[in-house]
Amino acid sequence: MAIGGRQRNHLSQAQAAWLLLLPFLTVYGAFLVYPFFRGIWISLHDWNLLAVAFNPDAREFVGLRNYERILWGRNIEWAALANPALQITGMIGFGFSAFLYWTNRASRATAIALGLAAVLLFVLPGFHPGEGGRWYDRRFWPTVGNTILFVGWTVPGVTLSSLVLAAALNRETRAMSVLRTLFFLSQVLSVTVVTLIWQIMFSPRQGLIANITEAFGGSPIVWLTDERFAMVAIVITTIWWSLGIAMILFLAGLQDISRDLYEAGALDNATGVRAFWYITLPNLKRTITLVIVLQIILHFQVFGQSHLMTNGGPNDTTQVLVRYVYQTAFRDSELGRASAMAVFLFVIMGSFSILQFIIGREEEN
Amino acid sequence: MPSKGYSWLVTALAIPAFLWLVPTIWMVSLSFQPNDVLARTTSSTALGLVPIPFTTDNYEALFAFGQTPWWFLNSVIVALGMTLGVLAVSTTAGYALARLDFRFKTPVMILCLIGLMVPEQAVFIPLYTMFADLGWHNSYHALILPRMAVPIGVFLMMQFFRAIPNDIEEAARLDGVGWLQIFRYIMLPLARPAMMTLAILTFLYAWNDYLWPLVSAQSRDYFTITLGLASIQSNFAQSEGLGRVMASGVIASLPVVILFLIFQRYVVQAMTVGGSKG
Repeated sequence: MAIGGRQRNHLSQAQAAWLLLLPFLTVYGAFLVYPFFRGIWISLHDWNLLAVAFNPDAREFVGLRNYERILWGRNIEWAALANPALQITGMIGFGFSAFLYWTNRASRATAIALGLAAVLLFVLPGFHPGEGGRWYDRRFWPTVGNTILFVGWTVPGVTLSSLVLAAALNRETRAMSVLRTLFFLSQVLSVTVVTLIWQIMFSPRQGLIANITEAFGGSPIVWLTDERFAMVAIVITTIWWSLGIAMILFLAGLQDISRDLYEAGALDNATGVRAFWYITLPNLKRTITLVIVLQIILHFQVFGQSHLMTNGGPNDTTQVLVRYVYQTAFRDSELGRASAMAVFLFVIMGSFSILQFIIGREEEN
Repeated sequence: MPSKGYSWLVTALAIPAFLWLVPTIWMVSLSFQPNDVLARTTSSTALGLVPIPFTTDNYEALFAFGQTPWWFLNSVIVALGMTLGVLAVSTTAGYALARLDFRFKTPVMILCLIGLMVPEQAVFIPLYTMFADLGWHNSYHALILPRMAVPIGVFLMMQFFRAIPNDIEEAARLDGVGWLQIFRYIMLPLARPAMMTLAILTFLYAWNDYLWPLVSAQSRDYFTITLGLASIQSNFAQSEGLGRVMASGVIASLPVVILFLIFQRYVVQAMTVGGSKG
């Protein structure tokens, strides 16, 4: 009786599918898709949080003016060597990525991404206010710069140390598994616990670091309020916090490298450091790229460390993009401008997500 | 038979591993020292890494006054609510996308994929205004709902369901079992390991989330422990005493650390999947 027959009280495949999708699509539409477009819409308005809360008509459509106000200024000029250090680095980087591309040392996606980053590094710092000009928002680009600086220190720091650790810990023994657990443990702590610990670690009066310095007769560094050290302190904290996940991803990548390669390498006297250099690294190239891109996405969103440890200070040296968005929205009540910054953030992070997606695809093929 | 090189490697790695643990040990150790001692020095014994003089006053004070127990409870409610919510919407949607055929399947999938690119930071302002218009701030659902919309769980479950062989489903179809029954009685029990991974990923995220609770919960009654800890740490030394703040930090970390130690395999897997997929 049941053969070939769909019983009448059963839903068709399509009906069942939509019914099962409905709960997710509802929350997805309501709390992600709609807010996303609403965010873009808010960014096109002069929108004061408090004024609009009392009177919904208090917002005013201003087109792209919020974007102009954060990104641009009066009498902005461009010169090839306005910021020589960065721009020359950009030029060298472009040459380097072209070299990688033509010699097939990197995959096409990696080379193009590197090249694009290098071009941006050459073009963007070239803009500067000319005679009598100024940026409309003096804090925006320095904030972007701080965020990039943070990412630029944290990502190599995490990547290098976790790669070395993963290679050393890649053995299935009890001792190694305990060590892996120890290195990973800090990863599960929340940002407020991590900043609580490190705020006091760095404290010049009570901190463990100051205690050690004093035991050796040195004078303690005022880490969090010294312009030279505040960003370093935040980077150290972040490396301590987020090394675990990179290590885990590397360990997963290492599992995929065939043992035969190492055995063959051992015959050629490639063991230990040499094996790491000639066998592990080349075979781990994709994982390394993936981890780097992932870290860039992750750390570009830095907020808690700066918000809780230094309040963006001293003198704005640790002010980062998300914290600036948060402050503009909820301290200055300028939702329109803050939303424009959030869209800017989305564009940057979205491009890295696409890159991540492409690399992930390549990996599968 | 461990070689000499191996023992040497373990010893060499034990030193950085211990250093890596020092900040955490320090927090625990400080939480067991009297506040009046800490006001003078934080390095009584072995740079403060050993809690001598020892006291449990900080923990007793924490549970006697202050809002820490309440915040802890809020965190439990929010984290469990979010975990159940994410599991419910992700398993159903993941199954539909992985195993069922319907019109517009590809567009729906692409729409969800695009959602992976949208970071929380890009939508928290419009979400704030929406929830303010609805009068939903300072409530548990305000803390829970936005995360349920993140498609990562759907992709995780989808990948899992895709890997299940077709014949189980086909046999059930031939017996006239409906799609919803197949999902409920065959697929869900099979999906337990994947659900476990997703549950842990979500719980960890919910427990540690900071930005959205900071924006949404303005009333201290709806603070999660993560947020509450942030609110007391800014003036830690003056108001509550260093030992007590550290005790709050320990309490705030206990559930995730215990969860991690028990379900380490799942946590690592969750991080690998969650990490490589955004």
